[in-house]
Amino acid sequence: MRIPVIKSILASLMLVFASEAADAQYVVKGRVTDKGNVPLAGAGIVVRGLQGTGTVADSEGRYELEIPDSEPHVITVSFVGFMTQSRTVRPDRENDGDFALEENPVSLNEVVVTGTRTPKVLMDAPITTRVISDLDIARSDAANIQDLLITELPGIEFTFSMDQQVNVNLQGFGGSSVLFLIDGERIAGETLDNVDYNRLNLDNIQRIEIVKGGASSLYGSNAVGGVVNLITRDQTEPWSVNLRARYGAHNEQRYEGSAGFSAGKVSNSVNVQMTSTDTYDVGGEGDFNTVYGNRVLSLKDRLVYAPVEGLKLTGRIGYYQRERDADALVKDRYRDVSGGLKARYEIGGDGDAELSYSYDEYNKSDFMVNTGSDVLNYSNVQHNIRALFNWHFGKTGTLTAGGDFMNDYLKSYQFEDGGSYSQMTADCFAQFDWNVVKGFNVTGALRYDYFSEKSLHSVSPMLGLMYRIDSEKAGHFAFRGSYAKGFRAPTLKEMYMSFDMASIFMIYGNPDLLSEVSHNFTLSAEYFKKYFNVTVSGYFNMVRNGITTVWNQELNSMRYANEAPSNIAGADVTFSMHLPCGFGTRLAYTFSHEYTVDGSPSMSTARPHSLTARVEYGREWKRYGFNLSLSGRYLSGFSTHVYASTDFETLTLQKYPGYTIWKLMLTQDIWKGISINMIVDNLFNYRPDYYYSNSPVTVGTTFAAGLSLAIGEMFRK
Amino acid sequence: MGGLYDEPEEVSEFGFVKTETLTGYGTVYINTSVYANWVYLDFAEAETVTVDMTAGDPEPGQWDMAVHRYDVKTNGGSAAMTSWTDIVKFEDSGDMPDDAAFVSDIMTDDVIAIDMSGMMQGNIVYAEDWYNPELSRWLDVDTSTMPPIYTKSDNVFVLRLPDGRDIAIRLDNYMDGNGTKGYMTIQYKTLTGEVEL
Repeated sequence: MRIPVIKSILASLMLVFASEAADAQYVVKGRVTDKGNVPLAGAGIVVRGLQGTGTVADSEGRYELEIPDSEPHVITVSFVGFMTQSRTVRPDRENDGDFALEENPVSLNEVVVTGTRTPKVLMDAPITTRVISDLDIARSDAANIQDLLITELPGIEFTFSMDQQVNVNLQGFGGSSVLFLIDGERIAGETLDNVDYNRLNLDNIQRIEIVKGGASSLYGSNAVGGVVNLITRDQTEPWSVNLRARYGAHNEQRYEGSAGFSAGKVSNSVNVQMTSTDTYDVGGEGDFNTVYGNRVLSLKDRLVYAPVEGLKLTGRIGYYQRERDADALVKDRYRDVSGGLKARYEIGGDGDAELSYSYDEYNKSDFMVNTGSDVLNYSNVQHNIRALFNWHFGKTGTLTAGGDFMNDYLKSYQFEDGGSYSQMTADCFAQFDWNVVKGFNVTGALRYDYFSEKSLHSVSPMLGLMYRIDSEKAGHFAFRGSYAKGFRAPTLKEMYMSFDMASIFMIYGNPDLLSEVSHNFTLSAEYFKKYFNVTVSGYFNMVRNGITTVWNQELNSMRYANEAPSNIAGADVTFSMHLPCGFGTRLAYTFSHEYTVDGSPSMSTARPHSLTARVEYGREWKRYGFNLSLSGRYLSGFSTHVYASTDFETLTLQKYPGYTIWKLMLTQDIWKGISINMIVDNLFNYRPDYYYSNSPVTVGTTFAAGLSLAIGEMFRK
Repeated sequence: MGGLYDEPEEVSEFGFVKTETLTGYGTVYINTSVYANWVYLDFAEAETVTVDMTAGDPEPGQWDMAVHRYDVKTNGGSAAMTSWTDIVKFEDSGDMPDDAAFVSDIMTDDVIAIDMSGMMQGNIVYAEDWYNPELSRWLDVDTSTMPPIYTKSDNVFVLRLPDGRDIAIRLDNYMDGNGTKGYMTIQYKTLTGEVEL
């Protein structure tokens, strides 16, 4: 009898509370930021199922939302270009109202600069630009540009050329035809036509922008097959200290540290990166079987000072050194010192003007183990002065104009008696980015380049058309078509080399070389809707006067010469998707076909088919988050002509096998600012039967682990 | 960055650059970069003579070993590699390789390359000459790749001459101060037999 009585008392008590609660309210407040704690002013906060209940975050990202009843509810926070986040709030407890939104990796709201040299939202960029975001970089586990690009960009390979030096191959374009830039600045020094990719470490890089095809109308020489531009992060936090460490196979160690502050008119960030790996044997037959170990140290500092509104002064310095264990008696040493000053002035709200000076000195030396002497044998010093001007004519368009003046000095062991040469280069360019009518854009550019040594000059035009359709329901479409010329002036090395190749033959430069030229035609269509993005593009490149070394019978030596014309046709298809539930995928496929125009045997190194793929799933709670990603690439096999091993006159057909290689990575955010990475590289234990110079450098499945500490995060609410 | 670097160590003097007369210990520095040349070493007189094969110059009257690029021949001797990497420690140990380990010269017609100018047409000119395969192990040159991969042996070799002398030989370097290959720095120590110096 007693139990039913108690039950009925409880039931009536609950009814009383419930009726009282029906009129009650509660308040949820907090702050909406991005993952880097930057406030997202204007972010919308709504209550699911309660129409008309919502608010907007203020300039500091703060909001206060009154819930009209005392029921639990799901509140949803959204902001353009970011993944929507939801959370359940309850009346009977203190609710955490802080949201750190993740950037929507498939949205096209990122600002890019490479295609037009002026900031432009990706979807509006008249030139198709591929962006690798800081999130992509963090989840790629890459130490340098080389590791990153092979996982993100189909059709790119880094292979070994002579002496295990690294050579880029972007759909048939080699190191001298792909222009690598840091914040739009050229990089001094090369080895066998390639810049030192170890210099391009990803510490403090905000994003990487890639424009395929010719871009000489803005960037001049070398922008024949593509431009890869690394954009440095601005210091936005009042202070930050980040530490990262990674340990992997072959005693591979990587340590990174960065510290920065931003106070009033001044901000500064300093970065240090150290990496090292041991020499190891791949344990198989091949063109190479020992992979040389090396040690790298890189330091960068960037100071920004804004003395008055509209004026921004940036100073930067950098030091880099690498030692390579190619020989027991001689260590190859590579060093670089760089610096730059830039003044940027905003002219009202309509334009800006920029004046910059940049210095880059890249040296190579031999460290003699026996005697301890360090003998310089190569030095490339570049001084560059640039003026850049942008003027916006309302919504009609933007005029960009500028010019560079550069002094290029080169001392090299490949010149007679280790001598030196230098030359001046000068250029001017102008571009008009015209919004003809809503959704239709025409961009035209023209650049003139002059090279003093042989009084060479080049005129590079570009024309781009874009048509954009935006529909709330159907999504956003962008159609682009462009023509761009790319060119590459012969370098001092290619004109004046006189190098004794192992006392067997000489390699001579050729002062009469013509500039290499490419004509690029591209058509593309892009579709974006909320969480999906699809891009299809096709291109056709005509390469003329390509510069290479050929056997010269008269000299009984190798000599630089312009080669037979060739064409490269291809297509790219990219699909990416990222759902709020945490599932994401990205698939990118590239087809390339290179052929000679005169029917001579093709020596193309472009693989016809290549694919990169990433599938990931991640969830995030207040104190814990994880992301599990599986990424991989497939490169098809191909056949090409190579010189027979006995001489440089007979060509033989060489078949290179295709391969696929995958990486599994688990990232765990275990507490504020602390995250742990666990990596299984080469998951399916791929091992080449024979290690060709373009085979992946792998010994099979390996493991690695990393730790990242964002100390500033630990002290922030 | 100029201050970071050193001037290359210029050794203008070739031959027996360092000799200790009482102990018979010394260093030889020779230019073997020219394919047409043999550089003859005479440890007894501490002398080197360079002979151009293509010019038909005669070999010297007295010599112990000769070096062509990285190839070695002996004057009727034989050689053996030890497991030691330090000449002094090797001598102190008294640990001489077995007689059976000593390898004599062989006559070859495809080793001593004297003209490489036709190499890219598959046409290398070789001299018919003696070659000591054991002592030539002091430097392995893998020419299957370009540039060739050089692997120097740190080991001490023993050169056994017909007159009864044993000479410990160790290759210290095969490059000059600029890193140019074809310049051999050889450490030696006369172990037995009369030291005439």
